[in-house]
Amino acid sequence: MNTARPPQPAPQPAPESAPGPAPESAAQCAAGWAGGGEPQRAARLETLLGDPLDPANPHSHHALLEADERREVPQATEHLLTQQHLGAEFVPHDLGGRLRAPEELARVLRPVFRRDVALGFGFGITSLFAASAVWTAGTGAQRAELARLLLAGGRAAILHRELAHANALLREEFTALPAPGGYVLGGRKEVVMNADRAHMFVMYARTSTQPGGRSHSVLLLDPRTLPPDRLHRLERTSTTGMRSGRFSAIAFTDCPAPHHTLVGQAGDGVLLALRTFQVNRCLIPATVIAGVDTVLRHAVSAATEHRAGALPARRWQRVLAGVFADLLACDSMALAGLRALNLLPDSAHLLAAAVKYTMPDLLREDLEELATALGARGYERGPLSGGFRKLIRDLPVAGLGHAGTAACQAVLVPHLRTLARTSWQHADGAEVPAALFTPGAPLPPFDYRKLTVTGAHDPLTAALPALADHLHQQRTQGPIWAALAELAATFVLELRALGEECAQLPPPTPALITDPRACVLSDRYALLLAAAACLGVHQSQGQQPTARFLNDPAWAVLALSRIARRLGTAVPELPDGVIPAVIAELLHRHREHRSFDLYATQLAG
Amino acid sequence: MKNLRGQQMTATTGTPPAPQRPAPVPHSPAPQDPVPARPVPVRPAPVAPVHVPRLEGPWHEVHDHLARRGHVVVHTTWGQWLPALLTQPQLRTLLGRDWTRYRRTADPIVRHRFAAARLLLKYTAAAALRTPPAALDLAYRLGGRPYLRGFDQIDVSLTHTGDLMAVALSTIGRIGVDVEPADRQMPLDLLRSQMCTPGEVAELATFPAAEHRTQALRLWTLKEAYTKALGQGMRLGFTQFGFGLRSGALLTPDGADAGHGEWSFASHPVLGRYLLSVACQDAGLNPVGDTAVATMLDEGFLAAMAQYGGPA
Repeated sequence: MNTARPPQPAPQPAPESAPGPAPESAAQCAAGWAGGGEPQRAARLETLLGDPLDPANPHSHHALLEADERREVPQATEHLLTQQHLGAEFVPHDLGGRLRAPEELARVLRPVFRRDVALGFGFGITSLFAASAVWTAGTGAQRAELARLLLAGGRAAILHRELAHANALLREEFTALPAPGGYVLGGRKEVVMNADRAHMFVMYARTSTQPGGRSHSVLLLDPRTLPPDRLHRLERTSTTGMRSGRFSAIAFTDCPAPHHTLVGQAGDGVLLALRTFQVNRCLIPATVIAGVDTVLRHAVSAATEHRAGALPARRWQRVLAGVFADLLACDSMALAGLRALNLLPDSAHLLAAAVKYTMPDLLREDLEELATALGARGYERGPLSGGFRKLIRDLPVAGLGHAGTAACQAVLVPHLRTLARTSWQHADGAEVPAALFTPGAPLPPFDYRKLTVTGAHDPLTAALPALADHLHQQRTQGPIWAALAELAATFVLELRALGEECAQLPPPTPALITDPRACVLSDRYALLLAAAACLGVHQSQGQQPTARFLNDPAWAVLALSRIARRLGTAVPELPDGVIPAVIAELLHRHREHRSFDLYATQLAG
Repeated sequence: MKNLRGQQMTATTGTPPAPQRPAPVPHSPAPQDPVPARPVPVRPAPVAPVHVPRLEGPWHEVHDHLARRGHVVVHTTWGQWLPALLTQPQLRTLLGRDWTRYRRTADPIVRHRFAAARLLLKYTAAAALRTPPAALDLAYRLGGRPYLRGFDQIDVSLTHTGDLMAVALSTIGRIGVDVEPADRQMPLDLLRSQMCTPGEVAELATFPAAEHRTQALRLWTLKEAYTKALGQGMRLGFTQFGFGLRSGALLTPDGADAGHGEWSFASHPVLGRYLLSVACQDAGLNPVGDTAVATMLDEGFLAAMAQYGGPA
């Protein structure tokens, strides 16, 4: 905490585009021009953002990289997204926005993240991270006020509390001390996205010096109502990643905040973070995938250029197919996590923590693997390789580094012993929860207010034995099916071994927290969840447009082999035909300009 | 503009001033003001390796270097660690999934060196994480890079040649280490054609002929260290990227700057007979100096999970 150091007075920069009145009513926004289902909204955005390789396109890779190089937000593209009311995607449907399901939101955001992860964060997604506590626990007036702001193209910034092993993005925090009529705010943070231009702040402030889970409270702050000499928007911070993002310092000095700024109850802050971060933890990986999609596309272009039959050299086929399989595995896990937010609002936090724990690391590994296929081209200054190097810089910021993964481990670790004694113990009779694995299938309504952390049910891993049994019956269909059945059986054994070890962990006491075995086991658990998600998606496609490929065992064998190797399990050689089948789909989608995720969406260009 | 370490970047060298937090500076950038492009900052070179002669340490320099510089390189000879290896009651636990490979290695020297190198890695990591080494699970990425499962606060790299072993740890990004005997005879013509980029061949030619072999060996170890840091080993072709022998910078094959200042490189003589090179990335997140396992799980989250979480 840091309340003693008074910042020097700073003039308040006017937000560059004051929110102003909402340009249209809530109903117009939800049902108007930008209406339609999320596939149509995503497609419209993709078309408007246009061909990323066209140098005349103001939203091209080249233009976005230039903005990154200049450390400026890409103004033209932000303007386009504002015009398209992208902010309405972050507002729940009952408040006039278009947010009905996090899976849909991820899909709509992918065209943006495909071009620039920093833009996705800076325009946007961080406003949702801030607003989510208000959507979850705000009063009617708070919810309506923030909804109006975002629908009108305004921005909210989130002021995190300091987490364990914090890095620059999470270091330091604010205090809110009780005072007549409300609170007095103090403290300073150095690196806050959009701190210099946000119209509202959502602050996770320390309100108690007592240890435990009631130490912080959430405040919704409108800077226009605070004394201008007590809130200091300070200088911009230079970051290695997301250079075009507007990170800056912000400080509060003895700043009064009325009681009605409190969101939920005093002391709810940490719980609200746990409840709302589960959405962010699925959304971040689910959107960052689209950035890696672009790099893989570039690597395929590089590997097929001047090649007979446009077929990459054999040694690069394995790399390209492997990364494609990883993207599908990541998307499978993200899909299950996103859909769980609608389907299992009391238990989704486990899967969400595992998604966020596993995927940034896996995607970073994929980028490093693609570096081999790109070779010297990866260092070129052009728009494609520039985008590759930019994503390598941006990804750690998106994933929040070690502090981000440790925060997910803090959710998983206390549950391992119980899961071993409940969900996994009775796994043999569990059914496959197909609704989690079917992209775009109907969902019950999503409501932030329903998200809790009270459940400890893990239907995914529990379904592993059933998924494996099903494959066991199909193993005679050919060597690739047999390999898939064998891999599934391996994961069932791994789950048993994991369960035995987790059952021996101490109960969630201080002894567990300092027991290094728990962190090791949480890593293995998260990888098993990834495996279960791949198997679930493979078996649950039904009549989906992409079912032909996703029901084929080749991609699943490749993805699961890679997950098994990460678990340290002995993996047999890939059967003949796996790499060719995955490469054929990859090249087909590359030729047809389709996305390398579960949706195979048509892309611009 | 300040960087994430709270330091003002100096445009001439990019070297940050003394590591103290500057007083807050009021600043109100006009939103449309472009931030002028800065020259790529040159990071301070990675620190010299620390000799840890015994399994018992001393380890304090590991903590010091990690806290102050974000990385550390430890070296020793496997002979020095052999007695501890031979009398190690927990060897099977310590080797974990590497036990099978250890048992299957027929040549006793290769076998002992394999085990000693993994002990060195685990003990060094355990010192950094302040946790018992036997509790750590040494795992391998698909490209072969070792990592400590469940503990991404440190990245690790391992190398051994002859009787020397070295381990590098980093809290700030990827790290790679490689070591070669300083007197290794390398056929220069072959190196130039197989390993060097055109830019490197041109720079090598500017050195006196007597230095060519040493400089080529330095290039070799730098390339090994960098590809190991990326976790790709030989899959990343050595002629696909280069180094400035004088600048220490990562370069494209034709000699243009290839980095954005995230990487720093250094070569050090070790024990008078080896050359050790380190490649160190700074992902820019400026993590806390604390790497201990006991403090990594957020107390607030754990308390709230215990209070409101499910039956756990």
